[in-house]
Amino acid sequence: MEQKISEVAGSFKAELNNVKDETGLEAIRIKYFSRNGLFSKLFEDFKNLPKDQKPKYGKLLNKTKAEAQKEFDLLKNKINSRKKQSQKFVDLSLPGRKKTVGSQHLISQTIKKISSVFKGLGFSVYTGPEIESDENNFEALNFPPDHPARDMQDTFFINDNFLLRTHTSPVQIRLMRETNPPIRAIIPGKVYRNEAISAKSYCLFHQIEGLYVDTNVTFAELKSTLVYFAKNIYGNDVKYRFRSSFFPFTEPSAEVDVWWQPPGKEGKWLEILGCGMVDPNVLQNVGIDPEKYTGYAFGMGVERIAMLKYGLSDIRILFDNDKRFLTQF
Amino acid sequence: MKISLNWLKEYVDLEGISVDEIVDSLTTSGLEVEEVIDETKNFENIVVGLVKEVKKHPNADKLSLCVVSDGEFDYNVVCGAPNVKKGQKSAFAKVGAYLPGLGVKLKKAKIRGEVSYGMLCAEDELGLSDNHDGIMVLDESAETGKSLSEILNKNDVVLDIAVTPNRADALSHIGVARDLSALFKRKLMLPEIKIKETSTPSEKLARVIIKNENDCPRYVAKVVTGVQVAESPGWLKQKLKSIGLRPINNIVDVTNFVLHEVGQPLHAFDLDRLADKTIIVDNAKNGEKFVTLDGKERELEDSFLMINDGKKPVAIAGVMGGENSEVSENTKNILIESAYFNPGSIRKTAKRLGLSTDASYRFERGCNPAGTVNAARRAAQLISRLTNGNVAKGEIDIYPNPIAPLKVSLRFERLNKILGFKVKPEDVEEIFKYLDFKIEEKSEERLTLIVPLARHDIEREIDLIEEVARIYGFDKIPLTERISVALNAKVDQTDFDFTLRNYLASLGYFEIITNSLLNEKDAKFFGTPVEVLSPQTTEMSHARTSLIPGMLQTISRNLRVKEKNLKLYEIGHIFELKNEGVLNNFDDLIETEHLLFAITGKELEGEWYGKDLKFDIFHLTGDFDELLRKVAGTDNFEEEYNFNTGKIFEYSVTKKIKQKVIAKGGKISDELLKKNQIDQEVFLFDLNVNILSEIQRDAPEFNELLKYPKIVRDVAFVLDKNIMYKDVVKEILKGSSKLLKKIKLFDIFESESLGAGKKSMAFQLEYYNYSRTLTEEEIDRDFWNAIETVKKQLNAELRDK
Repeated sequence: MEQKISEVAGSFKAELNNVKDETGLEAIRIKYFSRNGLFSKLFEDFKNLPKDQKPKYGKLLNKTKAEAQKEFDLLKNKINSRKKQSQKFVDLSLPGRKKTVGSQHLISQTIKKISSVFKGLGFSVYTGPEIESDENNFEALNFPPDHPARDMQDTFFINDNFLLRTHTSPVQIRLMRETNPPIRAIIPGKVYRNEAISAKSYCLFHQIEGLYVDTNVTFAELKSTLVYFAKNIYGNDVKYRFRSSFFPFTEPSAEVDVWWQPPGKEGKWLEILGCGMVDPNVLQNVGIDPEKYTGYAFGMGVERIAMLKYGLSDIRILFDNDKRFLTQF
Repeated sequence: MKISLNWLKEYVDLEGISVDEIVDSLTTSGLEVEEVIDETKNFENIVVGLVKEVKKHPNADKLSLCVVSDGEFDYNVVCGAPNVKKGQKSAFAKVGAYLPGLGVKLKKAKIRGEVSYGMLCAEDELGLSDNHDGIMVLDESAETGKSLSEILNKNDVVLDIAVTPNRADALSHIGVARDLSALFKRKLMLPEIKIKETSTPSEKLARVIIKNENDCPRYVAKVVTGVQVAESPGWLKQKLKSIGLRPINNIVDVTNFVLHEVGQPLHAFDLDRLADKTIIVDNAKNGEKFVTLDGKERELEDSFLMINDGKKPVAIAGVMGGENSEVSENTKNILIESAYFNPGSIRKTAKRLGLSTDASYRFERGCNPAGTVNAARRAAQLISRLTNGNVAKGEIDIYPNPIAPLKVSLRFERLNKILGFKVKPEDVEEIFKYLDFKIEEKSEERLTLIVPLARHDIEREIDLIEEVARIYGFDKIPLTERISVALNAKVDQTDFDFTLRNYLASLGYFEIITNSLLNEKDAKFFGTPVEVLSPQTTEMSHARTSLIPGMLQTISRNLRVKEKNLKLYEIGHIFELKNEGVLNNFDDLIETEHLLFAITGKELEGEWYGKDLKFDIFHLTGDFDELLRKVAGTDNFEEEYNFNTGKIFEYSVTKKIKQKVIAKGGKISDELLKKNQIDQEVFLFDLNVNILSEIQRDAPEFNELLKYPKIVRDVAFVLDKNIMYKDVVKEILKGSSKLLKKIKLFDIFESESLGAGKKSMAFQLEYYNYSRTLTEEEIDRDFWNAIETVKKQLNAELRDK
């Protein structure tokens, strides 16, 4: 009996050593550990042993089987974990499933950015129609008929009384007619100029105008507000200047330039906005007493500011809507 | 407007002030200097060269090899001029010099095998004259190596100034000098006018009659006899050339000189060519023809103010003279016109003629009615000096209603209130003195000023405040550390648009902005358009009636650059007239804000993880539903389906609320695609933002979270193919109680096995109640009731498992 046991144990060890995969393992399990396996057979033989020999061989048999089982489990674990490892492989370098977030047009983004500066200073935001009356676009704003001031803006007239607005100022007129001071608002929107389309000018562009009418509104406050704006858009150390100018609807009027220094090129002054104190005639036209109230107004071209900021040299790229452009912002 | 600094210095002392300071001060005070043309820069690297040697060029008969010295080094120079000689001094352009006559910057060059380090120049090559007879020979005394600009006195700086339309007074050298005198507190020096006049009074030699006093308030005529018309002297030619004018003859040049000196346009008539030696200022006759100085025949209108002699028109007043009375070589006696015309009248005439001259430009902005006599005398002084003419005594001055200067008061308190800081009264007074205002009265509170007649822009107190601000300097206005904010409730009318933009961007759409102007055909295709007058091109003759043309053009343009998969949106206004051609008030016009979003191409193309997937109508409607759920809290609207709807859509769905159309979307018709050269399907939705904003929800409603289980049941019907999803849903809802909370279509299946013309639709129904757990029995009742309703109403059958 002892010999039989050691034979089985020996062949088990030898065969186990040659097992490399699950199939081999399964073959061994069936050969040794199944109901008709070699170990079961040994136990059957054991049953037939004389009683006095049973304790001795029983111990040996149990011990041998337990050892075999232990070795078998060890190998099984090894093979299983090896298999699991190979199943786990994921090529994380593969490109992910593509998703696209769209965008707002660069002009919308710029309007939003500028608006947020002024909203932070307590300005409301108003809009208005793009087809306007001559009255709202020119006359109420102190442009006399047949005055050279009208030459400053090439207008798309529809007839004698209607036109495509040349600035968002008519919304100021609407606001001042419809509400009482204090009025503190900015007005973004599309405006139109009847000019030939070129790299520098397009037949439409976007403007943001501001208006503040209250008691004790001063030029010093206008200047301070616009310097705050310039610092927020162009950085805290922006170099600026206020330059006397002429607009029919403001007096005194000024234009604001910022010093633009492109890397490696010659710096220059670039005009970014026009501003001034609301002309008393304009206040009178809308029924506000210019002795009691004063106001300031300012206006800027959104395209100009965006082009400067992003280094665009041709305004038309903003209206070509080429996907290769749109996806950059 | 070009202003020569050398010329300017005759009227104001600018000693010790740099060009940069002058430019900055003018610019910040309202006379914007757009360009500084520094003449000395034109002569950089051009010096007096001494020709030390002249040899024949070995390979060319007409060329010489010279050695030229600039006093420091010797240069080998190839020269083609026949007059080059050893020992000569000439204009020598070194490598790097710019030659305006040739338009090139000189480089080291090899000419017929010989290297030339520069060039000996002729006058035309230097842009000095048309002379190309040979190289410029300089006086022997010229110091070798000295800059040519110094030798030729070419040291002027010319400023190109953009004058705003309110500042007619600044359209001359003295006008600019006056601002500089105020800015730098330097005295203005006006030219002294002394004329030796004959004993014959002007009135004896000519006559002036004004018939339209409104358009010609003043007419001054001065007569000079016995003139000799000739070329002007160098100083005068140089002055005119420096500001870009072409010298003509000593008479015309003087009138141009005075115009640019004081800003008063003058005209010189050949007195002997004026019939009856008479000037009559009157309106033109309609349709009359008149040949102006530029040789062009013009048709006159009766609104034009004309200068006539005793018989015929001789000039279009304030705009341009006529050929028939022009000063010529043979002219002996002249009449100098110095008038003040009504700005509006001149502007209208110039605009009608499409003709803007130096004269009309100034008259229409407003000249100085008080300056007419002086300007005429100044011209007579110069003409008599240059032509040996005799100036008749006095001048004819027809000024029936002299214009009185305005008196305007400035309250110091108001000044400080507008500017926001205090300017000292004595500083204010000084500014106005320099600007030629007379002080009528002054007190602690106010200053009353007499406004010079040249200053048409100053009528009110606020105009005076601006003068103080611009001369005192905006730079000196201090920044405040705090600002005041009115504490009324804030409004943001752009908020909704930005909300839409955010959602569309999240859905993967890119915003575009297209031209709001369309051609007539496109505009009329979508509605009754508004037409604009005189557009730059016929492509931009009408305001857009729809956002669709702009979108299709954008898609087309992207396809051309091979960008084929697109999700785009635009938010913008569209414009329609209620009745064609009628726009008398705002009620005739419908201006609405629209949102358009479009898809074309493929959602998935050439990816490793899935098969290509083309965009279809359901991508579009899915995005619409999600957008509306976000914006309005619902995607449940009245719907109309349109098939073969023709010109815009092949098929489309219209979404309505309370009879109002919110949106229309579908597949763009082949006709429209072809017109835009688009060869792939386009789906788009067009929404009315004004109506959309009315149904936007303020804030989402909060629903309690469900505490009880949901029960789901699946059912599949076999139906006729043409039964619509929404009809099945309608019947399911009809046959269900409120326990049914959600219906989800999860499969559509068509097969012969279902029977001809049949399809299967499978639904998952979801039941729950917020306050209790539902029982199987009540769900069964509800579920089977719904099934029976569908079966009965839609002639449907349950699909076998």
